[in-house]
Amino acid sequence: MNSSTTIASILLAAILTNNMVLSKFLGICPFLGVSKKTNTAFSMSVAVTLVMVVATAVTWPIYNYILAPDYTYLETIVFILVIAAIVQLIEIFLKRYIKPIYNALGIYLPLITTNCAVLGITMLNITNELNFIQSLFNALGAGLGFMLAMLLFSGVRERLETADVPEFMKGLPVTLVAAALVSLSFLGFAGIGG
Amino acid sequence: MKNNKYSGYFTNGIVKENPVLRLVLGTCPTLAVTTAAINGIGMGLSATLVLVCSNLVISLLRNVIPDKVRIPAFITIIAGFVSVVQMLVKAFLPSIDKALGIYLPLIVVNCIILARAEMFASKNSVLPSVLDGLGMGVGFTAVLTLMGAIRELLGAGTIFSLPVTANFISPMIIFLLPPGGFFVFGMLVAASNAIAKKNGKKAVMHLGCESCPSKEICGKAECVKEEEAGVNE
Amino acid sequence: MPKLTELIKKNKKDIIIPVAVLLAICIVIPLALSLTNKITVDRIAELEEKNSAATMESLIKADTFEKSKFKDSETEFEYFVAVRDGETAGYIFKTSEKGYGGAVSVMTAVNPDGTVKSVAILDVSNETPGLGQNAAKESFYSQYSGKKSGISLLKNGADSDKNEVNAVTGATITSTAVNKAVNKALQNFKTLDLSYADEQGEATDSEE
Repeated sequence: MNSSTTIASILLAAILTNNMVLSKFLGICPFLGVSKKTNTAFSMSVAVTLVMVVATAVTWPIYNYILAPDYTYLETIVFILVIAAIVQLIEIFLKRYIKPIYNALGIYLPLITTNCAVLGITMLNITNELNFIQSLFNALGAGLGFMLAMLLFSGVRERLETADVPEFMKGLPVTLVAAALVSLSFLGFAGIGG
Repeated sequence: MKNNKYSGYFTNGIVKENPVLRLVLGTCPTLAVTTAAINGIGMGLSATLVLVCSNLVISLLRNVIPDKVRIPAFITIIAGFVSVVQMLVKAFLPSIDKALGIYLPLIVVNCIILARAEMFASKNSVLPSVLDGLGMGVGFTAVLTLMGAIRELLGAGTIFSLPVTANFISPMIIFLLPPGGFFVFGMLVAASNAIAKKNGKKAVMHLGCESCPSKEICGKAECVKEEEAGVNE
Repeated sequence: MPKLTELIKKNKKDIIIPVAVLLAICIVIPLALSLTNKITVDRIAELEEKNSAATMESLIKADTFEKSKFKDSETEFEYFVAVRDGETAGYIFKTSEKGYGGAVSVMTAVNPDGTVKSVAILDVSNETPGLGQNAAKESFYSQYSGKKSGISLLKNGADSDKNEVNAVTGATITSTAVNKAVNKALQNFKTLDLSYADEQGEATDSEE
């Protein structure tokens, strides 16, 4: 296997077969909470993708050059603090230098600190022993997979708004059942990831 | 009277404000690890331990930690306890550690814990905070175990690995797969909503900011705006 | 310097106290963690050793398992030599391959003649419960016993005499990972066997 096909397969797996939200259940809160409208779903997922890639770029070297092999037990605490700091820095940077992007994404950034998808992807990169480049693409793929799931699901939910739902299923239950169906459709991708 | 008050702190999290079914927090682990009843217990108890310890420490330090830096301070304390639990589970319950995998360290970002730190422990004294943590933990564990048992029964025909229907009904594997998780959770919330309505309480309609006690922390109340916008449509 | 003290006074509440508290927390907690780590690290290592020893014993009967390392310009791997009554009873290799949700790791015991003695599935916890995790069932991995290098995996209808095994139903990706891992172990055995042949006459059970 040469490196380009590996990267392609990592991207494909992260977007489709091992979709962050629909098969690993990471980032469920924004998936169910911020998916009501397609444009907010899009902005949120752009912010998540950005933070995921930057966080991976920072945490991977920290783990492999500083924590490993003796201080790996600090992984959890170091990663969460680094992610919190990164989110703050990205916010400050965007506010200062790229105002239009800040206006579009700014309100979603603070939500991301405690988003398990970001911490999850940085840790999965370590447990799966990916190298630096693979990790970056895995993070990018996971972000794009998150985006795909969010956009598809926000489309479903916009329809759901006008649907006639039985009384006891109204609200969260029917949203969850809809999520089950979207996730079911993603199972169909399982064959691709060989 | 006093006794009643204390037991109230404890039972609050089990029924009235059940973190999973009423507050709808911590959905990620709820969906991810409940492929077997035993995993539900393992996850629930680990989270309970973290919840009780972090509530204890945070309520002890509630007058020491300046308001400005309370969120990073809380996260650091919680992450510390999560790492301790992670090491203990690895050392003493390795099979649970394998089954929970990455979801064990992810207790750090389980919003139940940060939410209770922010909403309860930082404002109350030690004993109520510990009881609150214990109650929330028990409520979380109970729902996770129930959901694990349902999915295990339907998806593998066993409960706690003991065969129930496995020998005469072919199990429906779909319940162990991700769609089954969403579906069973949806049904549980529907059932809990129906019971709540019977008792004259509001049904849970959304996940996310409306029912999230940490909305003040996370979105500077921006998400409240969004929820309202959604409602006004 | 009155200015400095004034500055400190002014910023005491806003900057100095918060920073000091955070700093204190960030010192105390990692200290507590390193303490817990000290207590648990030996036990975790011991547990791993015990597990690995128990698995090896279930694979192949032997008096001792000697850990060795092989290294040449192309590959590098660790393996165990199972010694019974002073003779080499077989070799054990630990290999892992990427499955559906993460790494799938397998332990393979190889007879001195190069056939598979038995296979143990070490870790399929990242695979789908009810599908991929079924690879840990005996009905799947016991198929490997007696096979030789270059085992092929079929969806069904495998002929045991033709060096073929059946995949777990609905879990082709996990089965492929196990199959690759077993073949890799056999490949490692071949590499080892060739290197033994090169240094004819030398003791076979230890090389550091």
